Amino acid sequence: MAELHIIGHIVGASGFPQNSLFCKWGVHTGGAWRLLSGLKEGQTQVDIPQTGDVAYWSHPIDLHYATKGIQGWPKLHLQVWHQDSFGRCQLYGYGYCHVPSSPGHHRISCATWRPLGSWQEQLAQTFVGGGPQLRSPDLIYSGADRYRLHTEAMGTVDLELGVIMRHFDKYGVES
Amino acid sequence: MATSNPSAFLLTVNGQIEGANFPEYDNLYCKYCFVHGHDWTSTSGLEEGITQITCKGSQSSRKLIWNFPLETTFKSTSPSGWPQLVVSVYGPDVFGNDVVRGYGATHIPFTPGPHARTIPMFVPESTWRLQKFTSWLLGRRPEYTDPKVVAQGEGREVTRVRSQGFVTVSFHIMTKDMKKLGYDTGPASPANTQSATSGWSTEEQPINM
Repeated sequence: MAELHIIGHIVGASGFPQNSLFCKWGVHTGGAWRLLSGLKEGQTQVDIPQTGDVAYWSHPIDLHYATKGIQGWPKLHLQVWHQDSFGRCQLYGYGYCHVPSSPGHHRISCATWRPLGSWQEQLAQTFVGGGPQLRSPDLIYSGADRYRLHTEAMGTVDLELGVIMRHFDKYGVES
Repeated sequence: MATSNPSAFLLTVNGQIEGANFPEYDNLYCKYCFVHGHDWTSTSGLEEGITQITCKGSQSSRKLIWNFPLETTFKSTSPSGWPQLVVSVYGPDVFGNDVVRGYGATHIPFTPGPHARTIPMFVPESTWRLQKFTSWLLGRRPEYTDPKVVAQGEGREVTRVRSQGFVTVSFHIMTKDMKKLGYDTGPASPANTQSATSGWSTEEQPINM
């Protein structure tokens, strides 16, 4: 069995309309993968930057997977939310990225998008907030049924992920 | 000493906590500790320590310099729970009380070679304005009872923090027997590796973020 370690952190986010952001993240894998240790989903703290507009989370990720096949390589999916001073939460973006498949340090910028409603919903959103959300988060990292969506671009989430691979070369996998 | 079938690998960290960039605060000192998983033990060097108190120089760069040495060696059977360096920065407030100015953590790099890291620092934030005022007045700011919490991912969902300032750290990493155990950590880092946050400062924000 080959093993994969994902060691890194979600650095922060920028380019969103307002600060006071947090991120819900998760890692999705195929059926051949087994999680040996670590948490495969979580939620960061809410960060309000003192200066500038980059929200920093530094949320650590430390995962250890064992696998029998390279199909279903891990994918990291993210939801960026905004929390205002009253504690109400509003969705600011969905995004996903594949975990890199070559060992070493990687810096990844994950772009995010938000579903767009009708013009009436957009008008209400500028005044009251809120907005449409996906009913099931699977659509963030899968391509099926995406053609039904109309979305707008939002900010970027930065990640630093390190990948350590073990025994992949014994099975003839080149990476 | 050399074994043909090692059961554990070693990680040697030589580095320094170079300094910090806090535009609003001065006269700061830093406490650091290493946090790691159950498979890891420290075989030599200190796992925690306190730096000196430093203030900004008269040069226009307004940097705080600690130049504090880090020399530790770890031993482990698995990369799970890879060590992290947790730093907490403290300084005096207007009334002279010692208050926390930031917590931060970064993973120790795992590729051999030189590395530079810029760690963003944050403080827990009170939600009530009245609580913010009384904690400013009495010098009792919200702080973590155990700074090692910063290295974990669980339990962060309900906390609100304010990020202010950065701490710069540099590492020189060596590993022993990782390849013999089958671990591939990728290419050794080139001479001038900068982390994604090293270009960020609180004075100017890069536009292409």
